[in-house]
Amino acid sequence: MKGDRRQIMTWPAMAALFIFAVFPLLIMLFNSFQSDDGTGSFVLSNYIRFFSKSTYLKLTGRTIFNSVMVTVISLIISYPLSYIMAKKLKGLKNIVMVLIIIPFFTNQLVRVYSWLIFLQDGGLLESLLNSIGIIDGSLGIMYTKAAVIIGLVHAFFPYMVITIYMALERMDNSILEASSSLGASAFTTFRKVIFPMSMPGVVSGIMIVFVPCLGTFVEPRILGGVNGTVIGTVIEDQFFEIYGWNFGAAIAFILLAMVLISMAAISKWGKRYDI
Amino acid sequence: MKKGIVSKLYVFLIMLYLYVPIIVLMLMGFNKSRYNSMPFEFSLEWYKELIGDTVLQKAALNSVLLALVTGIICVMLATLFILGERYLSNRAKSLFNSISMMPMSIPWLIMGLSLLLLIRFFNFDKSMFFVSAGHVVISLPYSLLVLKARVQSMDKSLEEMSASLGASQLTTFRRITLPAIAPAMVAGGFLSFMISFDNFAISYFLMPAGVSTLPIEIQSSIKFGFTPEINAVSTVIIGVSLLCLAVVGLIMGSSLKTMVGRSENK
Repeated sequence: MKGDRRQIMTWPAMAALFIFAVFPLLIMLFNSFQSDDGTGSFVLSNYIRFFSKSTYLKLTGRTIFNSVMVTVISLIISYPLSYIMAKKLKGLKNIVMVLIIIPFFTNQLVRVYSWLIFLQDGGLLESLLNSIGIIDGSLGIMYTKAAVIIGLVHAFFPYMVITIYMALERMDNSILEASSSLGASAFTTFRKVIFPMSMPGVVSGIMIVFVPCLGTFVEPRILGGVNGTVIGTVIEDQFFEIYGWNFGAAIAFILLAMVLISMAAISKWGKRYDI
Repeated sequence: MKKGIVSKLYVFLIMLYLYVPIIVLMLMGFNKSRYNSMPFEFSLEWYKELIGDTVLQKAALNSVLLALVTGIICVMLATLFILGERYLSNRAKSLFNSISMMPMSIPWLIMGLSLLLLIRFFNFDKSMFFVSAGHVVISLPYSLLVLKARVQSMDKSLEEMSASLGASQLTTFRRITLPAIAPAMVAGGFLSFMISFDNFAISYFLMPAGVSTLPIEIQSSIKFGFTPEINAVSTVIIGVSLLCLAVVGLIMGSSLKTMVGRSENK
Protein backbone atom coordinates (compact mmCIF):
# COMPACT_ATOMS: atom_id res chain seq x y z
CA MET A 1 0.00 0.00 0.00
CA LYS A 2 2.88 2.32 0.86
CA GLY A 3 4.14 2.84 -2.66
CA ASP A 4 0.72 3.21 -4.27
CA ARG A 5 1.02 5.45 -7.27
CA ARG A 6 -2.35 7.04 -6.58
CA GLN A 7 -0.86 9.07 -3.74
CA ILE A 8 0.41 11.39 -6.49
CA MET A 9 -3.03 12.98 -6.30
CA THR A 10 -2.08 14.60 -3.00
CA TRP A 11 0.94 16.30 -4.51
CA PRO A 12 -0.60 19.34 -6.23
CA ALA A 13 -2.20 20.57 -3.01
CA MET A 14 0.98 19.88 -1.06
CA ALA A 15 3.12 21.59 -3.68
CA ALA A 16 0.91 24.68 -3.53
CA LEU A 17 1.12 24.78 0.26
CA PHE A 18 4.89 24.23 0.31
CA ILE A 19 5.66 26.83 -2.34
CA PHE A 20 3.19 29.52 -1.28
CA ALA A 21 2.90 29.01 2.50
CA VAL A 22 5.82 27.10 4.03
CA PHE A 23 8.58 28.47 1.81
CA PRO A 24 7.57 32.17 2.16
CA LEU A 25 7.58 31.74 5.94
CA LEU A 26 11.12 30.39 5.76
CA ILE A 27 12.13 33.43 3.72
CA MET A 28 10.47 35.63 6.31
CA LEU A 29 12.44 33.84 9.04
CA PHE A 30 15.65 34.44 7.08
CA ASN A 31 14.74 38.13 6.67
CA SER A 32 14.09 38.52 10.37
CA PHE A 33 17.77 37.78 10.99
CA GLN A 34 18.97 40.38 8.49
CA SER A 35 19.68 43.94 9.50
CA ASP A 36 17.78 46.73 7.79
CA ASP A 37 20.93 48.73 6.97
CA GLY A 38 21.55 46.70 3.85
CA THR A 39 24.82 45.00 4.87
CA GLY A 40 23.20 41.59 4.57
CA SER A 41 24.89 40.18 7.64
CA PHE A 42 23.26 37.62 9.90
CA VAL A 43 22.23 39.40 13.08
CA LEU A 44 19.97 39.04 16.11
CA SER A 45 19.58 42.80 16.37
CA ASN A 46 15.93 42.88 15.24
CA TYR A 47 14.84 40.58 18.03
CA ILE A 48 17.08 42.35 20.56
CA ARG A 49 15.59 45.69 19.50
CA PHE A 50 12.06 44.41 20.06
CA PHE A 51 12.69 42.97 23.50
CA SER A 52 14.84 45.83 24.77
CA LYS A 53 12.42 48.67 24.03
CA SER A 54 9.61 49.21 26.45
CA THR A 55 7.37 50.57 23.66
CA TYR A 56 7.26 47.20 21.95
CA LEU A 57 6.78 45.30 25.18
CA LYS A 58 3.89 47.60 26.10
CA LEU A 59 2.48 46.99 22.66
CA THR A 60 2.68 43.23 23.16
CA GLY A 61 0.89 43.67 26.46
CA ARG A 62 -1.82 45.76 24.85
CA THR A 63 -2.33 43.24 22.05
CA ILE A 64 -2.75 40.42 24.56
CA PHE A 65 -5.01 42.59 26.72
CA ASN A 66 -7.22 43.35 23.69
CA SER A 67 -7.54 39.66 22.88
CA VAL A 68 -8.35 38.81 26.51
CA MET A 69 -11.01 41.52 26.67
CA VAL A 70 -12.58 40.44 23.39
CA THR A 71 -12.57 36.81 24.51
CA VAL A 72 -14.09 37.53 27.93
CA ILE A 73 -16.82 39.80 26.54
CA SER A 74 -17.57 37.28 23.77
CA LEU A 75 -17.91 34.56 26.40
CA ILE A 76 -20.25 36.71 28.52
CA ILE A 77 -22.42 37.38 25.46
CA SER A 78 -22.23 33.92 23.93
CA TYR A 79 -22.77 31.55 26.82
CA PRO A 80 -26.24 32.78 27.84
CA LEU A 81 -27.24 33.09 24.19
CA SER A 82 -26.13 29.54 23.38
CA TYR A 83 -27.82 28.27 26.52
CA ILE A 84 -31.09 29.98 25.66
CA MET A 85 -30.88 28.67 22.10
CA ALA A 86 -30.17 25.10 23.15
CA LYS A 87 -32.55 24.79 26.10
CA LYS A 88 -35.24 27.46 25.90
CA LEU A 89 -36.06 28.30 22.31
CA LYS A 90 -37.85 25.50 20.55
CA GLY A 91 -38.77 26.27 16.96
CA LEU A 92 -37.06 29.65 17.01
CA LYS A 93 -33.56 28.30 17.51
CA ASN A 94 -32.99 27.42 13.87
CA ILE A 95 -33.97 30.93 12.85
CA VAL A 96 -31.61 32.42 15.44
CA MET A 97 -28.85 30.11 14.19
CA VAL A 98 -29.35 31.33 10.61
CA LEU A 99 -29.34 34.93 11.86
CA ILE A 100 -26.00 34.28 13.58
CA ILE A 101 -24.48 32.73 10.47
CA ILE A 102 -25.63 35.38 7.96
CA PRO A 103 -23.13 38.09 9.06
CA PHE A 104 -20.28 35.66 8.23
CA PHE A 105 -21.21 36.31 4.64
CA THR A 106 -20.79 40.04 4.90
CA ASN A 107 -17.43 41.51 4.12
CA GLN A 108 -15.09 42.18 7.05
CA LEU A 109 -14.29 45.70 5.82
CA VAL A 110 -17.95 46.44 5.23
CA ARG A 111 -18.68 45.56 8.85
CA VAL A 112 -15.83 47.69 10.19
CA TYR A 113 -16.90 50.54 7.98
CA SER A 114 -20.47 50.35 9.18
CA TRP A 115 -19.31 50.53 12.81
CA LEU A 116 -17.37 53.60 11.79
CA ILE A 117 -20.43 55.38 10.44
CA PHE A 118 -22.55 54.24 13.40
CA LEU A 119 -20.14 55.33 16.12
CA GLN A 120 -18.60 58.44 14.59
CA ASP A 121 -19.30 61.91 15.96
CA GLY A 122 -22.40 63.19 14.21
CA GLY A 123 -23.39 59.61 13.40
CA LEU A 124 -26.53 57.65 14.13
CA LEU A 125 -25.73 56.52 17.68
CA GLU A 126 -24.86 60.05 18.74
CA SER A 127 -28.06 61.57 17.42
CA LEU A 128 -30.03 58.67 18.90
CA LEU A 129 -28.54 59.12 22.38
CA ASN A 130 -28.91 62.88 22.14
CA SER A 131 -32.59 62.64 21.29
CA ILE A 132 -33.30 60.34 24.26
CA GLY A 133 -31.26 62.67 26.42
CA ILE A 134 -28.66 60.15 27.62
CA ILE A 135 -25.84 62.32 26.38
CA ASP A 136 -25.61 65.94 25.45
CA GLY A 137 -23.23 66.86 22.66
CA SER A 138 -20.69 64.62 21.02
CA LEU A 139 -20.23 60.94 21.74
CA GLY A 140 -16.47 60.70 21.34
CA ILE A 141 -16.30 56.89 21.27
CA MET A 142 -14.76 56.62 17.82
CA TYR A 143 -10.97 56.22 17.74
CA THR A 144 -10.80 54.82 21.25
CA LYS A 145 -9.90 51.37 22.54
CA ALA A 146 -13.59 50.82 23.31
CA ALA A 147 -14.47 51.20 19.63
CA VAL A 148 -11.84 48.59 18.73
CA ILE A 149 -13.24 46.14 21.29
CA ILE A 150 -16.82 46.73 20.10
CA GLY A 151 -15.81 45.99 16.51
CA LEU A 152 -13.69 42.95 17.35
CA VAL A 153 -16.30 41.36 19.63
CA HIS A 154 -18.84 41.88 16.89
CA ALA A 155 -16.59 40.12 14.39
CA PHE A 156 -15.68 37.16 16.61
CA PHE A 157 -18.43 36.28 19.09
CA PRO A 158 -20.66 34.43 16.58
CA TYR A 159 -17.95 31.74 16.28
CA MET A 160 -18.10 31.22 20.02
CA VAL A 161 -21.90 30.99 20.00
CA ILE A 162 -21.63 28.16 17.49
CA THR A 163 -19.06 26.11 19.43
CA ILE A 164 -20.83 26.49 22.80
CA TYR A 165 -24.24 25.84 21.26
CA MET A 166 -22.98 22.62 19.71
CA ALA A 167 -21.62 21.43 23.07
CA LEU A 168 -24.88 22.25 24.86
CA GLU A 169 -27.03 20.75 22.12
CA ARG A 170 -25.13 17.45 22.25
CA MET A 171 -25.85 17.11 25.94
CA ASP A 172 -28.20 14.32 26.88
CA ASN A 173 -31.27 15.82 28.57
CA SER A 174 -31.82 12.70 30.67
CA ILE A 175 -28.66 13.55 32.63
CA LEU A 176 -30.20 16.89 33.56
CA GLU A 177 -33.43 15.21 34.56
CA ALA A 178 -31.47 12.73 36.65
CA SER A 179 -29.71 15.60 38.40
CA SER A 180 -32.92 17.42 39.27
CA SER A 181 -34.77 14.26 40.29
CA LEU A 182 -31.90 13.51 42.67
CA GLY A 183 -32.73 16.79 44.39
CA ALA A 184 -30.23 19.22 42.86
CA SER A 185 -31.48 22.76 42.43
CA ALA A 186 -31.48 24.31 38.98
CA PHE A 187 -28.37 26.28 39.90
CA THR A 188 -26.54 23.24 41.23
CA THR A 189 -27.46 21.29 38.10
CA PHE A 190 -26.01 24.08 36.03
CA ARG A 191 -22.84 24.42 38.09
CA LYS A 192 -22.13 20.71 38.54
CA VAL A 193 -23.50 19.18 35.37
CA ILE A 194 -24.25 21.56 32.51
CA PHE A 195 -21.30 23.90 32.78
CA PRO A 196 -18.58 21.22 33.12
CA MET A 197 -20.09 19.28 30.24
CA SER A 198 -20.11 22.36 28.01
CA MET A 199 -16.44 23.07 28.68
CA PRO A 200 -15.15 21.52 25.40
CA GLY A 201 -17.34 24.03 23.55
CA VAL A 202 -16.14 26.89 25.75
CA VAL A 203 -12.50 25.95 25.22
CA SER A 204 -12.80 25.73 21.44
CA GLY A 205 -14.74 28.99 21.50
CA ILE A 206 -11.91 30.66 23.40
CA MET A 207 -9.42 29.23 20.90
CA ILE A 208 -11.39 30.43 17.90
CA VAL A 209 -11.71 33.98 19.31
CA PHE A 210 -8.49 34.61 21.22
CA VAL A 211 -5.99 33.34 18.66
CA PRO A 212 -7.14 35.17 15.50
CA CYS A 213 -7.69 38.30 17.58
CA LEU A 214 -3.95 38.51 18.23
CA GLY A 215 -3.24 39.00 14.54
CA THR A 216 -5.91 41.57 13.67
CA PHE A 217 -4.86 44.89 12.20
CA VAL A 218 -7.79 46.19 10.16
CA GLU A 219 -10.25 46.80 13.02
CA PRO A 220 -7.66 48.36 15.37
CA ARG A 221 -6.44 50.69 12.65
CA ILE A 222 -9.81 51.89 11.36
CA LEU A 223 -11.78 51.99 14.62
CA GLY A 224 -8.95 52.85 17.00
CA GLY A 225 -6.88 55.32 15.02
CA VAL A 226 -3.77 56.23 17.00
CA ASN A 227 -5.28 54.59 20.09
CA GLY A 228 -5.64 51.30 18.26
CA THR A 229 -1.97 50.50 17.76
CA VAL A 230 -1.33 46.78 18.22
CA ILE A 231 1.34 44.38 16.98
CA GLY A 232 -0.54 43.85 13.71
CA THR A 233 -0.63 47.55 12.85
CA VAL A 234 3.05 47.99 13.79
CA ILE A 235 4.03 45.16 11.45
CA GLU A 236 2.02 46.77 8.67
CA ASP A 237 3.68 50.14 9.33
CA GLN A 238 7.13 48.57 9.26
CA PHE A 239 6.41 47.18 5.81
CA PHE A 240 4.55 50.07 4.22
CA GLU A 241 5.46 53.27 6.06
CA ILE A 242 8.93 52.84 7.55
CA TYR A 243 10.32 50.24 5.14
CA GLY A 244 12.01 48.34 7.93
CA TRP A 245 11.11 45.06 6.28
CA ASN A 246 13.53 42.90 8.22
CA PHE A 247 12.49 44.34 11.57
CA GLY A 248 8.87 43.88 10.44
CA ALA A 249 9.62 40.25 9.62
CA ALA A 250 11.06 39.76 13.12
CA ILE A 251 7.93 41.26 14.75
CA ALA A 252 5.79 39.03 12.52
CA PHE A 253 7.64 36.02 13.86
CA ILE A 254 7.19 37.17 17.43
CA LEU A 255 3.44 37.48 16.70
CA LEU A 256 3.50 34.01 15.14
CA ALA A 257 5.18 32.65 18.26
CA MET A 258 2.47 34.25 20.41
CA VAL A 259 -0.19 32.65 18.23
CA LEU A 260 1.38 29.20 18.38
CA ILE A 261 2.09 29.34 22.12
CA SER A 262 -1.46 30.41 22.95
CA MET A 263 -2.88 27.72 20.65
CA ALA A 264 -0.77 25.06 22.35
CA ALA A 265 -1.67 26.35 25.82
CA ILE A 266 -5.41 26.48 25.11
CA SER A 267 -5.49 23.04 23.52
CA LYS A 268 -3.50 21.58 26.42
CA TRP A 269 -5.98 23.14 28.82
CA GLY A 270 -8.83 21.76 26.70
CA LYS A 271 -7.52 18.17 26.90
CA ARG A 272 -8.70 18.05 30.51
CA TYR A 273 -12.30 18.44 29.40
CA ASP A 274 -12.37 16.08 26.47
CA ILE A 275 -14.47 13.21 27.62
CA MET B 1 -43.78 32.75 31.45
CA LYS B 2 -41.89 35.80 32.65
CA LYS B 3 -38.64 33.87 32.33
CA GLY B 4 -39.33 33.13 28.68
CA ILE B 5 -39.70 36.82 27.96
CA VAL B 6 -36.37 37.64 29.59
CA SER B 7 -34.61 35.04 27.43
CA LYS B 8 -36.26 36.29 24.28
CA LEU B 9 -35.39 39.87 25.14
CA TYR B 10 -31.77 38.83 25.64
CA VAL B 11 -31.67 37.10 22.27
CA PHE B 12 -33.25 40.15 20.69
CA LEU B 13 -30.66 42.52 22.18
CA ILE B 14 -27.75 40.38 20.97
CA MET B 15 -29.29 40.18 17.51
CA LEU B 16 -29.62 43.96 17.57
CA TYR B 17 -25.90 44.27 18.33
CA LEU B 18 -25.14 41.80 15.54
CA TYR B 19 -27.29 43.55 12.97
CA VAL B 20 -26.93 47.23 13.89
CA PRO B 21 -23.96 47.85 11.60
CA ILE B 22 -25.56 46.05 8.68
CA ILE B 23 -28.85 47.88 9.07
CA VAL B 24 -27.15 51.25 9.54
CA LEU B 25 -25.11 50.64 6.44
CA MET B 26 -28.13 49.78 4.32
CA LEU B 27 -30.03 52.79 5.64
CA MET B 28 -27.18 55.18 4.99
CA GLY B 29 -27.01 54.03 1.39
CA PHE B 30 -30.40 55.69 1.02
CA ASN B 31 -29.50 58.78 3.03
CA LYS B 32 -28.86 62.00 1.20
CA SER B 33 -26.04 63.23 3.44
CA ARG B 34 -22.56 62.72 2.06
CA TYR B 35 -21.15 62.31 5.58
CA ASN B 36 -23.62 59.67 6.78
CA SER B 37 -25.00 62.22 9.20
CA MET B 38 -28.47 62.83 10.51
CA PRO B 39 -31.27 63.80 9.90
CA PHE B 40 -32.21 61.07 7.47
CA GLU B 41 -33.37 62.14 4.03
CA PHE B 42 -34.30 59.46 1.52
CA SER B 43 -32.38 59.52 -1.76
CA LEU B 44 -31.32 57.09 -4.47
CA GLU B 45 -28.42 59.29 -5.43
CA TRP B 46 -25.68 56.88 -4.30
CA TYR B 47 -27.15 53.99 -6.24
CA LYS B 48 -27.32 56.21 -9.30
CA GLU B 49 -23.69 57.14 -8.84
CA LEU B 50 -22.79 53.48 -8.42
CA ILE B 51 -24.18 52.70 -11.87
CA GLY B 52 -21.84 55.24 -13.43
CA ASP B 53 -18.79 54.37 -11.32
CA THR B 54 -16.50 52.27 -13.52
CA VAL B 55 -13.74 52.08 -10.89
CA LEU B 56 -15.98 50.33 -8.37
CA GLN B 57 -17.50 48.14 -11.06
CA LYS B 58 -14.07 47.04 -12.21
CA ALA B 59 -13.05 46.32 -8.63
CA ALA B 60 -16.21 44.26 -8.16
CA LEU B 61 -15.49 42.30 -11.33
CA ASN B 62 -11.91 41.68 -10.16
CA SER B 63 -13.18 40.43 -6.80
CA VAL B 64 -15.61 38.01 -8.42
CA LEU B 65 -13.06 36.70 -10.95
CA LEU B 66 -10.39 36.26 -8.29
CA ALA B 67 -12.82 34.46 -5.99
CA LEU B 68 -14.01 32.27 -8.85
CA VAL B 69 -10.47 31.24 -9.80
CA THR B 70 -9.65 30.63 -6.14
CA GLY B 71 -12.78 28.57 -5.58
CA ILE B 72 -12.23 26.38 -8.64
CA ILE B 73 -8.54 25.77 -7.95
CA CYS B 74 -9.24 25.01 -4.28
CA VAL B 75 -11.91 22.45 -5.15
CA MET B 76 -9.64 20.73 -7.67
CA LEU B 77 -6.67 20.60 -5.28
CA ALA B 78 -8.81 19.55 -2.33
CA THR B 79 -10.68 16.83 -4.25
CA LEU B 80 -7.46 15.34 -5.61
CA PHE B 81 -5.97 15.51 -2.12
CA ILE B 82 -8.75 13.65 -0.36
CA LEU B 83 -8.89 11.02 -3.12
CA GLY B 84 -5.16 10.36 -2.89
CA GLU B 85 -4.89 10.74 0.86
CA ARG B 86 -5.87 7.17 1.69
CA TYR B 87 -2.92 5.80 -0.26
CA LEU B 88 -0.38 7.73 1.79
CA SER B 89 1.67 6.13 4.53
CA ASN B 90 0.50 7.09 8.01
CA ARG B 91 3.48 9.32 8.62
CA ALA B 92 3.06 11.21 5.37
CA LYS B 93 -0.66 11.50 6.07
CA SER B 94 -0.22 13.19 9.43
CA LEU B 95 2.52 15.48 8.08
CA PHE B 96 0.41 16.49 5.07
CA ASN B 97 -2.64 17.03 7.23
CA SER B 98 -0.91 19.35 9.62
CA ILE B 99 0.61 21.33 6.75
CA SER B 100 -2.75 21.60 5.04
CA MET B 101 -4.34 23.09 8.18
CA MET B 102 -1.44 25.45 8.88
CA PRO B 103 -2.75 28.50 6.94
CA MET B 104 -5.85 28.44 9.14
CA SER B 105 -3.96 29.24 12.31
CA ILE B 106 -1.43 31.72 10.94
CA PRO B 107 -2.69 35.32 10.76
CA TRP B 108 -3.36 36.36 7.17
CA LEU B 109 -1.27 39.44 7.82
CA ILE B 110 1.76 37.17 8.19
CA MET B 111 0.81 34.96 5.24
CA GLY B 112 0.44 38.00 2.99
CA LEU B 113 3.66 39.68 4.09
CA SER B 114 5.69 36.47 3.77
CA LEU B 115 4.48 36.16 0.17
CA LEU B 116 5.50 39.77 -0.37
CA LEU B 117 8.97 38.91 0.94
CA LEU B 118 9.08 35.90 -1.40
CA ILE B 119 8.32 38.15 -4.35
CA ARG B 120 11.03 40.58 -3.28
CA PHE B 121 13.55 37.83 -2.53
CA PHE B 122 13.46 36.59 -6.14
CA ASN B 123 12.93 40.05 -7.63
CA PHE B 124 9.64 38.99 -9.20
CA ASP B 125 7.05 41.59 -10.16
CA LYS B 126 3.82 41.75 -8.22
CA SER B 127 1.19 40.02 -10.30
CA MET B 128 -2.27 38.48 -10.19
CA PHE B 129 -0.55 35.10 -10.16
CA PHE B 130 0.79 35.67 -6.64
CA VAL B 131 -2.47 37.21 -5.45
CA SER B 132 -4.35 34.11 -6.62
CA ALA B 133 -1.72 31.81 -5.11
CA GLY B 134 -2.10 33.58 -1.77
CA HIS B 135 -5.87 33.34 -1.92
CA VAL B 136 -5.71 29.64 -2.81
CA VAL B 137 -3.37 28.86 0.08
CA ILE B 138 -5.53 30.57 2.71
CA SER B 139 -8.82 29.16 1.34
CA LEU B 140 -7.68 25.61 0.67
CA PRO B 141 -7.98 24.39 4.29
CA TYR B 142 -11.69 25.26 4.30
CA SER B 143 -12.40 23.30 1.11
CA LEU B 144 -10.37 20.42 2.50
CA LEU B 145 -12.29 20.39 5.78
CA VAL B 146 -15.66 20.22 4.04
CA LEU B 147 -14.56 17.49 1.63
CA LYS B 148 -12.85 15.48 4.37
CA ALA B 149 -15.98 15.48 6.49
CA ARG B 150 -17.93 14.15 3.50
CA VAL B 151 -15.42 11.44 2.61
CA GLN B 152 -15.20 10.26 6.20
CA SER B 153 -18.94 9.75 6.39
CA MET B 154 -19.04 8.09 2.96
CA ASP B 155 -19.82 4.40 2.71
CA LYS B 156 -16.53 2.92 1.44
CA SER B 157 -18.11 -0.46 0.71
CA LEU B 158 -19.95 1.04 -2.28
CA GLU B 159 -16.62 1.71 -4.01
CA GLU B 160 -15.34 -1.76 -3.15
CA MET B 161 -18.52 -3.32 -4.43
CA SER B 162 -18.29 -1.40 -7.66
CA ALA B 163 -14.71 -2.53 -8.15
CA SER B 164 -15.50 -6.16 -7.35
CA LEU B 165 -18.37 -6.07 -9.84
CA GLY B 166 -15.82 -5.28 -12.52
CA ALA B 167 -16.13 -1.51 -12.89
CA SER B 168 -12.94 0.24 -13.90
CA GLN B 169 -11.39 2.77 -11.55
CA LEU B 170 -12.63 5.58 -13.74
CA THR B 171 -16.18 4.22 -13.83
CA THR B 172 -16.21 3.76 -10.07
CA PHE B 173 -15.04 7.32 -9.64
CA ARG B 174 -17.57 8.69 -12.10
CA ARG B 175 -20.56 6.67 -10.95
CA ILE B 176 -19.96 6.21 -7.21
CA THR B 177 -17.37 8.56 -5.72
CA LEU B 178 -18.11 11.72 -7.67
CA PRO B 179 -21.87 11.80 -7.03
CA ALA B 180 -21.20 11.14 -3.35
CA ILE B 181 -18.75 14.01 -2.92
CA ALA B 182 -20.31 16.46 -5.40
CA PRO B 183 -22.36 18.38 -2.79
CA ALA B 184 -19.25 18.76 -0.65
CA MET B 185 -17.32 19.98 -3.69
CA VAL B 186 -19.94 22.68 -4.27
CA ALA B 187 -20.00 23.64 -0.58
CA GLY B 188 -16.21 23.62 -0.29
CA GLY B 189 -15.83 25.68 -3.42
CA PHE B 190 -18.40 28.16 -2.20
CA LEU B 191 -16.64 28.50 1.13
CA SER B 192 -13.32 29.18 -0.61
CA PHE B 193 -15.06 31.62 -2.94
CA MET B 194 -16.43 33.54 0.04
CA ILE B 195 -13.09 33.61 1.86
CA SER B 196 -11.35 34.93 -1.22
CA PHE B 197 -14.11 37.42 -1.96
CA ASP B 198 -13.93 38.72 1.60
CA ASN B 199 -10.15 38.82 1.79
CA PHE B 200 -8.47 42.14 2.24
CA ALA B 201 -5.01 41.47 3.69
CA ILE B 202 -3.57 39.23 0.98
CA SER B 203 -4.98 41.30 -1.89
CA TYR B 204 -3.86 44.57 -0.29
CA PHE B 205 -0.26 43.43 0.17
CA LEU B 206 0.24 41.65 -3.13
CA MET B 207 -1.94 43.44 -5.66
CA PRO B 208 -0.01 44.97 -8.56
CA ALA B 209 -0.34 48.74 -8.87
CA GLY B 210 -3.53 49.94 -10.55
CA VAL B 211 -5.54 46.77 -9.86
CA SER B 212 -8.01 46.66 -6.99
CA THR B 213 -10.76 44.58 -5.47
CA LEU B 214 -13.85 45.67 -3.57
CA PRO B 215 -12.30 45.35 -0.09
CA ILE B 216 -9.34 47.43 -1.27
CA GLU B 217 -11.67 50.10 -2.66
CA ILE B 218 -13.63 50.17 0.59
CA GLN B 219 -10.43 50.52 2.60
CA SER B 220 -9.13 53.36 0.46
CA SER B 221 -12.42 55.19 0.65
CA ILE B 222 -12.31 54.88 4.45
CA LYS B 223 -8.77 56.22 4.38
CA PHE B 224 -9.29 59.06 1.93
CA GLY B 225 -12.78 60.24 2.81
CA PHE B 226 -15.70 57.97 2.16
CA THR B 227 -18.85 58.45 0.17
CA PRO B 228 -22.17 56.68 0.76
CA GLU B 229 -21.58 54.97 -2.56
CA ILE B 230 -19.66 52.43 -0.47
CA ASN B 231 -22.86 51.85 1.51
CA ALA B 232 -24.73 51.20 -1.68
CA VAL B 233 -22.13 48.80 -3.02
CA SER B 234 -21.94 47.03 0.37
CA THR B 235 -25.69 46.56 0.35
CA VAL B 236 -25.40 45.03 -3.09
CA ILE B 237 -22.60 42.72 -1.88
CA ILE B 238 -24.67 41.54 1.09
CA GLY B 239 -27.64 40.91 -1.19
CA VAL B 240 -25.58 38.94 -3.70
CA SER B 241 -23.88 36.90 -0.94
CA LEU B 242 -27.22 35.94 0.56
CA LEU B 243 -28.51 35.00 -2.87
CA CYS B 244 -25.46 32.76 -3.45
CA LEU B 245 -25.99 31.23 -0.02
CA ALA B 246 -29.60 30.45 -0.84
CA VAL B 247 -28.68 28.97 -4.23
CA VAL B 248 -25.99 26.77 -2.71
CA GLY B 249 -28.44 25.72 -0.01
CA LEU B 250 -30.90 24.68 -2.70
CA ILE B 251 -28.27 22.80 -4.73
CA MET B 252 -26.96 21.05 -1.64
CA GLY B 253 -30.46 20.25 -0.49
CA SER B 254 -31.65 18.84 -3.79
CA SER B 255 -28.48 16.86 -4.46
CA LEU B 256 -28.71 15.37 -1.00
CA LYS B 257 -32.32 14.47 -1.73
CA THR B 258 -31.33 12.88 -5.06
CA MET B 259 -28.74 10.80 -3.28
CA VAL B 260 -31.16 9.68 -0.63
CA GLY B 261 -33.73 8.95 -3.34
CA ARG B 262 -31.21 6.89 -5.27
CA SER B 263 -30.23 4.76 -2.34
CA GLU B 264 -33.89 4.18 -1.51
CA ASN B 265 -34.61 3.08 -5.06
CA LYS B 266 -32.02 0.35 -5.19
